[in-house]
Amino acid sequence: MNVIECNGLTKAYFRKNVLNGLTFTIEENKITGLIGRNGVGKTTLVKILAGLIKETSGEVRVFEQHPFNNLYTSANTILVDDQMFFPPALQLHELLEVAQSFYPNWDMELAQRLLQYFSFDPSHYHQTLSKGRTSTFNMIIGLASRCSLTILDEPTTGMDEAVRKDFYRALMKDYLAHPRTILISSHHLNEIEDILEDVLLIKNGKTLLHESISDLKEWAIALQGASTVVQKWLVERNCIFQRQVGKDTLYAVVRDDFTKENKEEALRGGVEFIPVKASDLCVYLTNDTKGGIDDVFER
Amino acid sequence: MSSNVSLVETVKKQYAFKMKAYIDAFSSLVGIQFIAFLFSLGGGSSSMGTSDGYHFELKFYSADLVIIFTFIWIFVTAITITTKPYRNQDFTFVTNRMSSSLSNILFLLSASLLGAFTAVLSRFLIQTVAYFLLKEDLYIASVMTSEMMIGITVSLLYVFWISSIGYFVGTLVQIHKGFALLIPVIVIGSLFYDGFMQRYAMLLILFQFYFLESSMVLFAIKTLITTAVLFFASIAILNRMEVRR
Repeated sequence: MNVIECNGLTKAYFRKNVLNGLTFTIEENKITGLIGRNGVGKTTLVKILAGLIKETSGEVRVFEQHPFNNLYTSANTILVDDQMFFPPALQLHELLEVAQSFYPNWDMELAQRLLQYFSFDPSHYHQTLSKGRTSTFNMIIGLASRCSLTILDEPTTGMDEAVRKDFYRALMKDYLAHPRTILISSHHLNEIEDILEDVLLIKNGKTLLHESISDLKEWAIALQGASTVVQKWLVERNCIFQRQVGKDTLYAVVRDDFTKENKEEALRGGVEFIPVKASDLCVYLTNDTKGGIDDVFER
Repeated sequence: MSSNVSLVETVKKQYAFKMKAYIDAFSSLVGIQFIAFLFSLGGGSSSMGTSDGYHFELKFYSADLVIIFTFIWIFVTAITITTKPYRNQDFTFVTNRMSSSLSNILFLLSASLLGAFTAVLSRFLIQTVAYFLLKEDLYIASVMTSEMMIGITVSLLYVFWISSIGYFVGTLVQIHKGFALLIPVIVIGSLFYDGFMQRYAMLLILFQFYFLESSMVLFAIKTLITTAVLFFASIAILNRMEVRR
């Protein structure tokens, strides 16, 4: 079953399209990473999926229903971000009780154990928590609610290294015990790539790439060698990224469509093949220029 | 694993949640009624006179001021719960716009009931304090339970009616911030304009339609219909609103 289906999804703010004909589907019980640069429409997309805002045009289906103003999708979806708003009059343990009353699959034992592990004082108030602590508490709500669709929008904002690692591990363990569809948007693909199954890469409000993480790791390859030789191999290939390394050495990333014979020939010519990390590839793909920041300084 | 939820069930949960989360509204009711209580101890609309060498002073100790302060309180409370932070916290948990509005109205009804009840009963506190602490000679018309009930019912109708006005005003402000300026300008402006034109104020005529109604049943019908229309309009407007946290 497809949990999320988007077809030509468009969202405009003040006549500017933030999402521009986004099309993708996400299957049940998969962990998908939502990757893209700042301001590319990730947050807009997850808010539409959570039913907070309404699409301008196109089709969106969550659990085969239209999410905006929908009680069914609201009960089965949770959106965790750093802007979750909790009533200032309630203490943390009361917030857990409220969440328990709303979410049918809520696991109170898990919530309380996580609260204890991250040494929260249950009688504190949400408003007094620091940025990282707020993210941690919101994450506890997100995990314990066990919603069929759990959306985490930049869940680790402000968390320190140790808490981030704990968080990913907790997410993984809870997912294995209770499989559900999880959508994580993050800037740090290298941090989350170990737990992801799929990656959805967004650029300019459109789907740029929707691949499994293993395919993504083999999707592209880097060539490094003498500039003239590497340039020869780049002919008729779409170069994703290139960088001058040293005086006469070129590092270039292209789609990996080399045949075995190609590779052997290139190797004889002194070209080195280097695998490209998924996180680096995503950065290269979402850059507007081939040379990245270097282009700005080379005028 | 996906679960179905009903609107009624969600409204109930939201209502229970709001009675806890909006506790500040109730504490401010205590504060505002206490202030009104202190003012009331001055004795409203006193009259003095001299007759046969006797000087007499007549003071009325009533709950009128407390009730008026309660009107102001419910108006402000109703506007407050339409504001962004309050709407957004609904959406942290399970809701749609309909259940959010319906639970708000239930909350306002409960708040109105509590406000009306305490305001009407405060009369006894005021008169007791006037008798024991201010050493006034008290002449109290005997209080019948039925009169008390009518007093509470009428106050409840007023308070709930005002809450619907507040909720509607708050909703308009949520559509466009300009209403926050426009509404006071229209209300106060119309008073000034009518005064300038030397005619009876439109606003007063409007209020007399409700306040000067002598038939209890007609009064109840008038206020309840107005309340229902205003809440219905607010629900219809809020139903299309996006949540931008």
